[in-house]
Amino acid sequence: MDTFKRAVVLLVEDDPGDQKLLSKALANQEIPTELQIVGSGEEALEYLLRSKSRDEQSPRPNLILLDLNMPGMNGKEFLRRIKDDVDLCAIPVVVLTVSEAESDIQECYELHAAGYIRKSATPEEFQRVVKTLAKYWFATSSLAGR
Amino acid sequence: METLKEVVILLVEDDIGDQKLVKKSFEREKIANKLHIAGGGEDAWAYLQRSKNGDGQTPKPDLILLDLNMPGIGGKELLRRIKADAELSAIPVVILTTSDSDQDILNSFKLQASGYIQKPVTLQGFYEAIHNLEEYWFVICKQVPSVKEAACSR
Repeated sequence: MDTFKRAVVLLVEDDPGDQKLLSKALANQEIPTELQIVGSGEEALEYLLRSKSRDEQSPRPNLILLDLNMPGMNGKEFLRRIKDDVDLCAIPVVVLTVSEAESDIQECYELHAAGYIRKSATPEEFQRVVKTLAKYWFATSSLAGR
Repeated sequence: METLKEVVILLVEDDIGDQKLVKKSFEREKIANKLHIAGGGEDAWAYLQRSKNGDGQTPKPDLILLDLNMPGIGGKELLRRIKADAELSAIPVVILTTSDSDQDILNSFKLQASGYIQKPVTLQGFYEAIHNLEEYWFVICKQVPSVKEAACSR
């Protein structure tokens, strides 16, 4: 078995503040992480289409971090589309959101999200959350298509 | 961060040694947990059907740990059934298996497994893997509400 050399993470998030926070939090992981950031569901789909044709600028992500609350195509619709795609459905999608609405949580799991994480109040707490997340997906778990 | 009163895990595993290892690992964890063990796909499926009735004896799991390599209804078939069932599909299923086949890994994720863990070789490795799994699923991740309700209403 190959050890996991480098993780490509696609962050689908429109808020620049949250983009920065995530970027910082993922920067200090044991396994080198390449973070690709897009600001909307539409951009994310375009990115993933490019990754299918092995575009070097758009490497296929091993993990997708998805904000639910975005303008334009919302997160749930994006999740639905990814999971319908024979090629892309194998990429785990972890939902990051401010919503505590039980209906949102339920729906995401029904749409096959691989985790539902509420964005934390403080950067320190969020750092801890991301550390656990990275450990689970990049060390404990074997990602498909690595 | 909020945690559940007691989390319910269903382990689907035919190997007695591995059942013991997982049990031991969960016993060390600080979060109160109840581990139900099914020795095969048929047992697990029967358990999950009973759990739909909301009875205290067979609570719906918050997480399912599934070995792929089992006789009878194998892990892949069970995963397929769970994800096709409207009442069960939201429960995260994590594969915990000896297989390191890329094809198995890919197929599991395509069937919407929420993680694929190759069984560690050492006891310490097991402890660490289960600890990280618990931290991820029961500390930082939000649980499925309908499952959570069933778990807390006992």
